[in-house]
Amino acid sequence: MTKIRRYCKLMGVFAKYSLMSALEYRINFVTGMTVEMGWMVIKLMYVAIIYKAGTNIGILTPDHILLFIGTYVLMTGIYMLYFGNFCSIPGMVQQGELDLYLVKPVSLQFLVTMRRLEFAYLLPNLAAGVFMIVTGWRLAGLPVSAASIAGFLFYLACGCLLTYSLFLVPYILGFWIISVGGISDISNALWDFNNMPSMIYGKWFRRVGTYILPIFVITNFPGLFLMGELSPFSCVWGAAAPVLFFVLVRIFWKISLKRYSSASS
Amino acid sequence: MSSYRCVFVMGVEQALEYRMSFFLSMLSAAFPIVIQTTMWNYLYRHSDAAAVFGYQQGEILLYTLLATIVSQLGGTGFEWEMNSDIKMGGLNKYLIRPVEYKGYQFFRFLGQKIPRLMVIGPVMTVIIGGAVWQGLPVSPGRVLVFLGSLILGAILNFSIFYCIGLLAFWLTDVDKLFGTISIVLTVVSGGVFPLDIFGGLVEILVNLAPFGYTTQFPVNIINGRFGWERMGVGFVFQTGWILVFVCLGEAMWRRGIRRYAAVGG
Amino acid sequence: MITVEHLRKEFTYYKKMTGIRGSLHNLFHREALTKEAVRDISFSVEKGEMIGFLGPNGAGKTTTLKMLSGILYPTGGRIEVDGFIPWERKDEFKRRISIVMGQKNQLWWDLPASDSFYLNKCIFGVDDGAYRDIVTELSEMLEVKELLNVQVRRLSLGERMKMEILAALIHRPDILFLDEPTIGLDILSQKKIREFLKICNEQWKTTVIITSHYMADIEALCDRTVIINQGQLVYDGKLGEVNQLLGKRKLLTVKTSATVETGQWEAYAPVREASDAGAVLEVPQEKVQEVLTAILSGLPVEDFTVTEIPIEESIAWFYRKEVVTP
Repeated sequence: MTKIRRYCKLMGVFAKYSLMSALEYRINFVTGMTVEMGWMVIKLMYVAIIYKAGTNIGILTPDHILLFIGTYVLMTGIYMLYFGNFCSIPGMVQQGELDLYLVKPVSLQFLVTMRRLEFAYLLPNLAAGVFMIVTGWRLAGLPVSAASIAGFLFYLACGCLLTYSLFLVPYILGFWIISVGGISDISNALWDFNNMPSMIYGKWFRRVGTYILPIFVITNFPGLFLMGELSPFSCVWGAAAPVLFFVLVRIFWKISLKRYSSASS
Repeated sequence: MSSYRCVFVMGVEQALEYRMSFFLSMLSAAFPIVIQTTMWNYLYRHSDAAAVFGYQQGEILLYTLLATIVSQLGGTGFEWEMNSDIKMGGLNKYLIRPVEYKGYQFFRFLGQKIPRLMVIGPVMTVIIGGAVWQGLPVSPGRVLVFLGSLILGAILNFSIFYCIGLLAFWLTDVDKLFGTISIVLTVVSGGVFPLDIFGGLVEILVNLAPFGYTTQFPVNIINGRFGWERMGVGFVFQTGWILVFVCLGEAMWRRGIRRYAAVGG
Repeated sequence: MITVEHLRKEFTYYKKMTGIRGSLHNLFHREALTKEAVRDISFSVEKGEMIGFLGPNGAGKTTTLKMLSGILYPTGGRIEVDGFIPWERKDEFKRRISIVMGQKNQLWWDLPASDSFYLNKCIFGVDDGAYRDIVTELSEMLEVKELLNVQVRRLSLGERMKMEILAALIHRPDILFLDEPTIGLDILSQKKIREFLKICNEQWKTTVIITSHYMADIEALCDRTVIINQGQLVYDGKLGEVNQLLGKRKLLTVKTSATVETGQWEAYAPVREASDAGAVLEVPQEKVQEVLTAILSGLPVEDFTVTEIPIEESIAWFYRKEVVTP
């Protein structure tokens, strides 16, 4: 328990320091926000097209779809909050910059993946995502009760853990290969599959994306739960998958770290 | 000319060096196409989308396939290098050598296109071939015009981003701004969706603005939407905008380099 | 405190071919090569000792240090530090050691150094009181008290290094590893850091292992020197005694009032350098008196001095040579 407290405290210190550092370069902070807004324009274009076409996707009305895309935008913001750390892993491995983190009595994976937080990327997505979720929720007439909100938040949290676990994998490959650019491009492109509700894709594609490489769980399960469309089995899977993949990525990290040999001899 | 040739070869080499990464990056570029194609298919099957968007299903699918490829082909990245050249004083070495900076960047830009072309070329041929087989009326003349517009589009894109890169003479923190600009320009040049589906004022603006002539214009030539007359007008706009940006670039360079020399690099 | 036995480390790297053909070739096939960075090093260190690792670039000093601090896994051999095996990286072990690398920094670039100290306090779980005490004490000793609240990026290289060392000592480690801590610093900062490390070692009995290719660092700080060359230990002992291994020779510098031919000098002893105004001769210790008497009677001597061969020279000799048993 004290260990969890210590990690939470460290997380707080990282957040504070990241924000303080970011505010040293205010222009960069603002332009960073505009980058995210640029990406968001693309995501919003999907919403615009859906509303313009005015069709349902399966059981989802455009309002439901707004909620789903809102969830995707919010999750993108949370992922982007620590994404920069992932990107720097291959470089750190090659430059031997893990050295000074290795001698700290705290989980190296935690230090490396959480030490820099980019609030400039979080904020626009957080604002737009929450707005879209709330609007979609209201327009679609979904239930507003403590239980439904708690359930929605629970699956959001599961989604966060699952995102972290799944999308860390390509960058851990930086311990094994020189250039991870291609693989990380693939994983980033995979992330964008959530731009549309999974129901738009074919049955087999959906199954693979739910049970084998469960990217659809991340942004679809909170909304599906809210609509009462999550089967009991899916309810369990939605909670179990994050834990399972987190354990797997931990193991992979530890194996990969053994390969680490710092660049200078 | 030989110094430019050397730069060109170096560009090819650099791009090849990244092993698998290179192939995977190419593959990941296909993912958004899958998402969009899936969405369009769904919408056209379940609603009267052709009437809403003004594109036939075949046209929009071909557009989706080709727009990503065309914007990949014209994509830049040298603006970041220009920024560091200007900020870190790397420009000095071009000022004393008999190599013109713009020429250097342009030939390197072309050099880096060659490996991309080796992958993109065949893919594009297959797609267009498939479209012809599906009954798209593509005459050899149209293909020729398409290739011409493609080359001019790449030159236009280079000219635009060269001007954007030169902004580094005046602005201090431009790194992230480049990211924003690049994304926004991809969107407004029709690299994600054809913008004229939104009709009205948007359509008029797109036709007047320079950006659509990097991507949307070439693609709408090959997918058969534009008649000969429309193409003619398009080419006038395309060349016109190239001239505008080349002149703008020259003017910016002259002013910028004076400022650079004054500050001392 | 530290025991190292038959330590080995090999690195694998890839051969890269140049040119377009090479790039294409690398795309499909790479050739793996092995480099032996450390081969069969053994030594031990007592608590409170201060040891210097000396050696040319790429000799294996840093690799050895990294294996001692648990950053690298050894390919072979055994290391024990304070009862721990470093590469197991137990938290308890990490609390007892600390490492400072001259070319790597752990401070947050855009924040004052004190913020990075506070982060280390949280990471190592140091009490508030102990934390305040050590920061006050060390910052006074290093004369950086006024700079604690200045952003790291605004500090000079020397000031930054002092802060790095301070950050590494927040948790009061028993063992301190320093890798080229004075690299690139001005003489004044070098001196200050040396003094500080000396006090550190004497006051708290901190075991210190320091690598450097500045002789002055090692000369000022370490009783005991370990010379490493090409991954092997070539000398382990007092730095001052290095010369004795080289046949105890002295340098005889003679100034003359008239020009003496080089050939004439050579009749007395091997000549290092000769000019119109005199010469430097290399003379075995037991023969100094004999040679000097002969020169004084045979040549127009104005002045003379007898000196030790500079340690640098002896070390350079080790760098060329392989293993020596003292």
